Amino acid sequence: MTGLFERFRKKKRGPSPAPAGGREGILVFSHTSEVIAAESCLRDAGFDVRVMGPPPALHTGCDLVIAFPLIRQLEVTEALRHRRIIPLQVVPVDDVLLEPVSLFHTVDYGAYLMVRAANMKLTIRKSDRMIVNVSGGGCPDVPYLAEQLVGRRMDEDTEPKRHGKTLCGYALQLAWEEMNRQCPG
Amino acid sequence: MEMEVDARGLSCPQPVLMTLEAIGKAKQGTITIVVDNETSTENVTRAAQSKGWTVLAVDKAANGINTIRIEKK
Repeated sequence: MTGLFERFRKKKRGPSPAPAGGREGILVFSHTSEVIAAESCLRDAGFDVRVMGPPPALHTGCDLVIAFPLIRQLEVTEALRHRRIIPLQVVPVDDVLLEPVSLFHTVDYGAYLMVRAANMKLTIRKSDRMIVNVSGGGCPDVPYLAEQLVGRRMDEDTEPKRHGKTLCGYALQLAWEEMNRQCPG
Repeated sequence: MEMEVDARGLSCPQPVLMTLEAIGKAKQGTITIVVDNETSTENVTRAAQSKGWTVLAVDKAANGINTIRIEKK
């Protein structure tokens, strides 16, 4: 899996602001499946976390990290431990080279807007938020996801996580959430 | 009226957006879209069908150039 997200890394920060109240930390995992499980666990527990790309100075782990408010490190690691999810590393972001990077890339085509999250691209028509294209990936469910989403408006039960369970489905979910943020209904 | 969209050398979503633009202009008739990869072929076909157009044919040449003909009466 290493390198899957490598070419999508961007230097700019993610769209969501860093958690209020100070420094951030990042959780590093061996596999993206652990990141997905950890994100779900921490969000369910009410933590303000974001999935991002690993910082340039980090040379371990998979292609996704989780950013969290460092002040809550003990609670975060405890919540993960209860679910038997053990990060490879917990790294304080105390240097610019340790800042996690955005997974998103946005292209404005005029009447259309495309958001790419990692390896998946979602394109909508701005006027009515109709999904006009889903592409990318390489997972077996991408054609199915595209079939389910294309031709429907964003608010018509199109949340990808309801339709796909692969890493591509997960990346598409991130793109869908970012699209909602950039082009709200 | 027959329109042609040449989307060779472009990656998605651009072939799809060009096709949708042509569909918006033509309203009906036949449109030929030329692409150079399988993903674009699938995405253009799906987009056209979602707009109520019928895919008449997908011709796949040995050099990787695919020609998609869509129609709406």
